Parts: sequence; C-alpha cells; structure tokens
Amino acid sequence: MDKGLHRFSLIVACATFLLIIAGALVTSHDAGLATSDWPLSNGQVFPKMVGNLFWEHGHRMVATTVGMLTIVLMLYIFRKEKRPWVRWLGVFALLAVVAQGLLGGLTVKLMLPLIVSAAHATLAQLFFCTTVSLAVFTSKSWMSARPAWEEERGVPIRYLCLAAAVTIFLQLILGATLRHSATWDKPLPTNLLLAHIGGAAAVTLLLGTAAVIVLRRYAAERFLTRPAAIALTLLVVQLFLGLAAYITRQASPNDPQPLNPMVGITVAHVACGALVFASTIVLTLRAFRALRPAASLEFVSNSQRLSGI
Amino acid sequence: MNKQTKVWLVISLVLGLLALGSACGNKPSEETKSETSTATKKMPAGAASIVGIVTFIGTPPTPKKIDTSADPVCGQKSPNLTTDDAVIKDGKVANVFVYIKDGSLADGSKIGDYTSDVPSQAVTLDQNGCHYRPHVLGIQTNQKLQVTNSDPTQHNIHPTPKNNPEWNQTQPNGAPPIEKTFARAEILIPVKCNQHPWMKAYIGVLKHPFFSVSGEDGSYTIKGVPAGTYTVVAWREGGAAGTEKTMQVTVPATGSAKADFSFGEAAAAAGRPSTLEVMPALEIPLRH
Repeated sequence: MDKGLHRFSLIVACATFLLIIAGALVTSHDAGLATSDWPLSNGQVFPKMVGNLFWEHGHRMVATTVGMLTIVLMLYIFRKEKRPWVRWLGVFALLAVVAQGLLGGLTVKLMLPLIVSAAHATLAQLFFCTTVSLAVFTSKSWMSARPAWEEERGVPIRYLCLAAAVTIFLQLILGATLRHSATWDKPLPTNLLLAHIGGAAAVTLLLGTAAVIVLRRYAAERFLTRPAAIALTLLVVQLFLGLAAYITRQASPNDPQPLNPMVGITVAHVACGALVFASTIVLTLRAFRALRPAASLEFVSNSQRLSGI
Repeated sequence: MNKQTKVWLVISLVLGLLALGSACGNKPSEETKSETSTATKKMPAGAASIVGIVTFIGTPPTPKKIDTSADPVCGQKSPNLTTDDAVIKDGKVANVFVYIKDGSLADGSKIGDYTSDVPSQAVTLDQNGCHYRPHVLGIQTNQKLQVTNSDPTQHNIHPTPKNNPEWNQTQPNGAPPIEKTFARAEILIPVKCNQHPWMKAYIGVLKHPFFSVSGEDGSYTIKGVPAGTYTVVAWREGGAAGTEKTMQVTVPATGSAKADFSFGEAAAAAGRPSTLEVMPALEIPLRH
C-alpha cells in the first residue's frame, strides 16, 4: 500500500467533485453556449471571463486540471500499484475523462442536444464514482480488511447496497435528463419530473434500508457504519434540497433569471446527489470487502441443489 | 487476454459506441431548404390596412430590475435595466406581434396560395446596453436579418427555432454585422444571448409581409393588405410559448379595418372581446 497514491487518489476525487459543481453552475446559468467554439473559448485560451463565459470557461479550466490530474494518477498507479485490476481501473478513469471532455465539446458543437448533455452529466458521475473507488482501493483500511463477518440471515446487505448504488445511478441519469430538458424559462416535463420523484422514493427505500440495517447489525464496525451514516445523512439533506430546488424554480418563473437562490440550491442538489452516490459506492465496496455470505445460507442453498429443488 | 481485461474492453467499447450514437443521432441538418410551397400566384398589391390598439386590462405586471453586474460593461451602460416582457404604459401594450395567420382574399382564393416578394432591405436586430433592440420583430422568409453589436463587450446570438436551423454565433465588440435568413415561417423564434442570460428577443417569420409590432402607445398598422377576410392573431410574450388572441377581420378594398386586442387576466375574466370595426377609406384630394 502506498500512502502517496491514496492521497493523490483522494485529491483527484475531490477535484472531480469540484468539477461536478463547476459543471452544475454552467447548466444553472444556461452558460453552456456562452461561446460557440471548443476547445478554445472565442478563439482564445484565456478569454476575458465576463458574463456567462466566466462559468463556461471556468468549467473548462477545472476540467483541464482534472484531466491532467487523471493522467498523473494513471502513471502513478502504474508505477506503484501491483494489482492488475486497479491498474485497469486507472486506465478506465483516463478513458472516461477523455470521453467526458469529448462529450463536453460535442454538446457545445451540437448546441446542447438533450441526449449528449445528459450523457455528459451522467458520465461525470460515473467518472467521480471511479475516482472515489480508486481512493477506496488504495486506502489502508481496504488493504487491511478481510472478509471478517458473516452476513446474518435475512436481507443480504451486500446486494442491498449494490441495488441502492445502481438505483442512485439510474436516478442520477433521470436527474440529468430532467435538468437538461428545460432551462428556467420553460416548464419541466411532467413525466420526467414524476419519474425523478419516483426514483427518489426508490433510492430512499433501498439506501435507507441498507444503511439502517448496517448501522444496527454492525454497530461496532466503523469500516461499515461510517459510510452508512454519511450516506443516510446525505440522503436526508438531498431530499430537502430536491424539494427546495423545485420550490425555488416554481416560485420565480417570471423573474430575471438566473437568481442566486435558484442557482445555489439547484447546484447544491446536484453536488449532494454526487456525494450520496459516492458514499453509497464506498459503503457497497466495503460491504463486499468485509462481509461474506452466511454459511447457513450457503448450506441451505447447497442442500436445495442436492435435493433438486 | 484475461477475463478482467475483456470486461474492461467491453465497457470501454460500449461507452464509445454510446457517445458516437448520441452524436450521430442528434446531428442537426446544416442546410434547410426553403419551405416547400405549392403557391405559384403572386400576391396582389393591396391598398387597405389593418390598424388597432393593444390594451391591457387589469393590473399590469411590474418590470423587475435585472442584475447586470456579471459584465461590468452592461452595468455601466445599462445600470437600471428592467425586464421587458411586459412593456405597458397607460394600459397600452408594446411589443405585441400582430399578423395575418390565414384567410381568403375577396375573390375567395386563399392567402396561402400566393407568394410574396422578399424585401431587399435587411431587418436589424441591435445589441445595445446588453439589451436587444427591438425586443420583438417581424421578418419575411429568406429576408436578411442583420445583427449588430453596439456594445463595447462581446455577445453571442442564439436563436432557438423549431422549424429553422438553430445557430449560435459569438459577436465580439467591433465585429461586422452578422447576416442570416430564415427559410421557414415560424411564430415566434426566441433569441437569447448565452453570455448575458437576461437578453431576450423574439422574431416572427412569415411568408408574407402582413405583420406588425405594437409600439409603446399600443398601436400597430399592417399595410398593403388586399381586400378579404382574414384571421388576425396578436401574440404577446409570457408563459412558456406566449399568449395569443385571434380575430376574424374583413378588410375593404381601400381604407382600413380596425382590430383592437385586449390582454390581461381581467380581460379574460370579464370576457371582454377584442373589438372589430371596418372604417371607410379616407380620400384626400391631391392639389395640383
């Protein structure tokens, strides 16, 4: 285990989180097309960052930094890391950040078609999840943890966490599509809005159940309870932010947008969504690392197989 | 190649294909042919007008101050900029786009059966004080739209039509005018500046010249209309797609037909109709 590599992975994950915030600020200010060219802005590397160009070019600068950091991270991983699958994850991170940059350029060139913009926002979350996973895999706690605890009878917590993570990812896709469907001067599509609300209910049910079970069953194991508690807290905050984002949008349709309350709350909703996803990924990875299937369950399963059931 | 390698390769491939697919699936057509029309007859010259006043009944919305501090140039040039979605003075509404939607000429032929000459003169949309002037304008299909920048800062002009190709072009200060045309009729194309998100304008594109925009006194005049009976529409900004009022107007061979429109919640609640009146031609003898 290399402490430096873990710290650097954490830096990349944090920078990626800032990049998600920068991207959300672009969408909330409707600044995606503040310049019609890409990768330069108005033909310049450093244009005068006034008006919405501040947000769009600022986003590009943060993205370039994250791209550079990801290249360094991959090289760092290849130098220090022996596990082949971690190396491949480093390669995937690099490919993802390159694809993300190209999608960003594509969405500017094609003038923000919904599918490309939503794909750009979704891949951002997937890339963030990758950098968070790299930070987890290179951590001391991951290296020292071994499958120590058996799953108790009942709901298999590992798969419940996995289901929560997958549902959150689907919810992030819905959220990204909803967000890019209408600027502030247009009404949100009702079907997408309802689907997003339904997704929030599904996430609350799955993640809430998983986190509560973890907190109750493994109360003494901080390796599991810490991400569970963080994910649960963030989920509650996220639900309030979602409601607040909707109310601020509905409250001021005729005002000269973008108004700071709407921008601030909506961006916080996007950022908190990313954190809920990240903390659930950490919880899921750690659950698979630390828990092993209950022997009795395996025994039952084997017995059933033997008896032909 | 081990199993893990294959899995990662498949994931990479799927992501690449998704990106490619989404790019190809949304490529807008670069060229749009002129609207297909079976019209072959030339629009006869008309000698009458449709005139009217657009009023607002009820309490008009108050213009709201726009925070232009994001660009210091805008703050200096237009420190007190307000929203212009409802320019109402003494109950008279400006920026209402009034046009003939359809109808028949006196001989029973449809107005859509005729073609109109495209004016050689361009229509100008200026960016001045981080504000579009005019806020609402009309233009004929294939007539030149000239966009100018009178501000010492850069703008980008971004119409978001549904029937015409979308475009987005940056115009630095001092840059020459941008000239564009719209090949298809469309009511109305929103125009925005993604650099200064409060900037909005609307362009009405029609195949004929029978349109007008109400001034600050609420009045409008549609000139050169041939005699006939038409559906006249008044479009006002507001809501997701604006608000429309429709009226049947009979236009005499000479003179003018009056068509007043009323907007506002109070007008709708009171069921107050827009008024219609045919006025006789006013003949002024020429002195020799």
